[in-house]
Amino acid sequence: MKLPLICPEKECCRGKKECMPGKGLPKIVLVGSPNVGKSSLFNALSGSYTIVSNYPGTSVEISRGKGRIGEREYEFIDTPGMYSLLPVSEEERVSQRLLFEEKAFVCLHVVDARNLRRMLSFTLQLLEAGTPLILVLNMMDEAEERGIEIDIQGLSKALGIPVVGTVSSEGKGIEELKTSIMEFTHKKYERISQETDYGQEIEPYISEAEGLLKTAEETGISKRSLSLLLLQGDRTALDVVCSPEEEYRDKNEKNESRRNSFEEFQRLAETASEKAGIPLSYLFTLKRQEIVNRIVEQVMEVQDTDKETKERETGQKEKTEKREKARKKVLLAENIDSVLTHPLFGIPVLLLVLYLGLYRFVGVFAAGILVDFLENTVFGEHINPLVTAWFTSLVPYPALQDLFVGEYGIFTQAVTYAIALILPIVGAFFLVFSIIEDTGYLPRLGLLLDSMFKKIGLSGRAVIPMVLGFGCSTMATMVTRTLETRRERLISTILLALAIPCSAQLGIILSILSGNPNGLLIWAGVIVLEFVFIGYLAAKILPGEAPTFILEMPPLRIPRLSNIAVKTYSRMHWYFLEVLPLFVLASVLIWIGRLTGLFAIALKTMEYPTVWIGLPSDAADIFLFGFFRRDFGAAGLYGMHDAGLLTGVQLVVAAVTLTLFMPCIAQFMMTIKERGFKMALAISGFIFPSAFLVGFIVNTLLTALGVSL
Amino acid sequence: MIAENSHISLNTTLKTTTLSSMEPRKTGKISSLETKNAGILQKLIAMGILPGMPVTLLRRSPSYLFEVDQTRYAVDREVANHIYVSY
Repeated sequence: MKLPLICPEKECCRGKKECMPGKGLPKIVLVGSPNVGKSSLFNALSGSYTIVSNYPGTSVEISRGKGRIGEREYEFIDTPGMYSLLPVSEEERVSQRLLFEEKAFVCLHVVDARNLRRMLSFTLQLLEAGTPLILVLNMMDEAEERGIEIDIQGLSKALGIPVVGTVSSEGKGIEELKTSIMEFTHKKYERISQETDYGQEIEPYISEAEGLLKTAEETGISKRSLSLLLLQGDRTALDVVCSPEEEYRDKNEKNESRRNSFEEFQRLAETASEKAGIPLSYLFTLKRQEIVNRIVEQVMEVQDTDKETKERETGQKEKTEKREKARKKVLLAENIDSVLTHPLFGIPVLLLVLYLGLYRFVGVFAAGILVDFLENTVFGEHINPLVTAWFTSLVPYPALQDLFVGEYGIFTQAVTYAIALILPIVGAFFLVFSIIEDTGYLPRLGLLLDSMFKKIGLSGRAVIPMVLGFGCSTMATMVTRTLETRRERLISTILLALAIPCSAQLGIILSILSGNPNGLLIWAGVIVLEFVFIGYLAAKILPGEAPTFILEMPPLRIPRLSNIAVKTYSRMHWYFLEVLPLFVLASVLIWIGRLTGLFAIALKTMEYPTVWIGLPSDAADIFLFGFFRRDFGAAGLYGMHDAGLLTGVQLVVAAVTLTLFMPCIAQFMMTIKERGFKMALAISGFIFPSAFLVGFIVNTLLTALGVSL
Repeated sequence: MIAENSHISLNTTLKTTTLSSMEPRKTGKISSLETKNAGILQKLIAMGILPGMPVTLLRRSPSYLFEVDQTRYAVDREVANHIYVSY
């Protein structure tokens, strides 16, 4: 999950999309595999904050920040994780494009020190691409815990680039890295040859492709690297080479040549891969891995248990004690892990997490006790009467009084809802959420639920955006880019828009129904059923292959208090700024609507479906609010429940309908951005009637069965 | 003679199977990858799941969980069928 950056300096626009701190300064780009700590390092270097978690795919967007090293200022750029220069999923392509487009002063290839063997291949690719490079071995502490020793100087010599070891979460090695950046000069480390030899069978084809590129425009990566990507059929590389930009000028000629080169590359790729007998990407990777293995054998050593016993005998007591402690820590994590991912115990643990974290803490404590205190006591009894009295005495015009302190007033409704209702709930939610994220539980949930998710056309990987949707569906819609197929991305976007309630909405509903366990169960049952039903239907209808599931499991980690605090704060901050203007806007629109009579008409129109699903006509404004934001609608529901206007059955029906109701404006805009306008419109067009239909069915069934809740 | 025999017996115990039919808790080496499905192959090699790497199967259910070198991966049966191991 990625939020607008919090800039260290006030001069910078807070949270605006176009915010580009450090524009025009020399660029330092952080690249590397997912979940190696790029964002954490970015925060340490730039003094900004971008979200850091313990699961692959936390950043799906590029973050920019500004920082000073010594006397010079630099622009720092954090990128979504990518495994290699040849991307598989969309967020990897975001990073790849950046490497094509931006000229970096230096790239920091961040790797997880434990996994040098798997990650050095990408270092070789970056060197091949001619990128000015520093290798950062992050999480050195975890490598040490597992008895891994790395000869940093040897590695630097073997690669011909600076290598620095860091523990970014603790700030260790950052100074050394800064020195390394300061001393970095392109000449010093320019190596004579840093190209991997892919064998005499294939090299001629690479040269031929390079020959075709002679007249092509320069990009951020070398021609050889570009040729390799073209031979592997990479889309971005083809786009760059066969750029459609010049189509306006001498249209026919350019198009002709474009097609020619396109076909040329395809022909080359086909013959080369025929000759190789295996896919070229496989061949290239295997060749690079040979070199990597040679290097790793020279510079990395894994201490096994035998050696440790010897060490103990020779009296290196302190060292072995330390290692013993580390091993115990690893063992404990191992045991917890095997419970979390256990086919039988895994589900009860999940239910326990949901019960304690979501129901008890967010629903009962935050949305119940805390909100009740803030809304009724602090605002209801003290602040609002004071402000109202003060405002009424100051401004004698009833129309203006209505706008600011009336029933739907900016202060009495918008501000009160935002501060007393939404803020405590989302705050509590984000706190629980941050803890869960940082332990590394989310990927384990993916492993646990993969086979169930397959039934609705998704893989276990989709568990992550779905769970994030409970925080904010808008952000989660963006995270669907980490899914591999278009089909998966579409199904998950539909489900996020339809059945996943956002944190504020969920908190309010949990709190309203907390005194009514049966009602809560019915509500949850209906939502889960709808989720499964629509997912199943979408999987049946939408064409395309069934998804496959591959997910890296990061180690379980103890959450770091400082990260939890900053993350929760920055999300609350973002959420509040997102929610308040819209709430105020709603108040203003309602005010205008009431002055002109349009509000009454809209309310009258909304009354039809409201009454149809068995709710009192007064409940129409809940759904009218819901058009603005789901949580605004939920806040309206809270108000009605508070006033005791709804029966148990009506409450459940309203909660169900509202949960399934329209996505908010922000999510709608994000769906347009990620899936296109038509798809966004189609999804919303489907949701509106279906929400009321389900509400109607639930009401009819409950009434017919004579259930009273 | 004895040495030769033991060498032979060692060779016969070296099984090659797919990861999905490997015995849990056994450690082996990845011998090759199935190349028919380009998408799965691309993902596997990008993540560093490559021939020659040591591999340990930890779990078969609810999903396949295995360790290559120092990293753990969860995959479904389909993907596990694309990885050949000898042990």
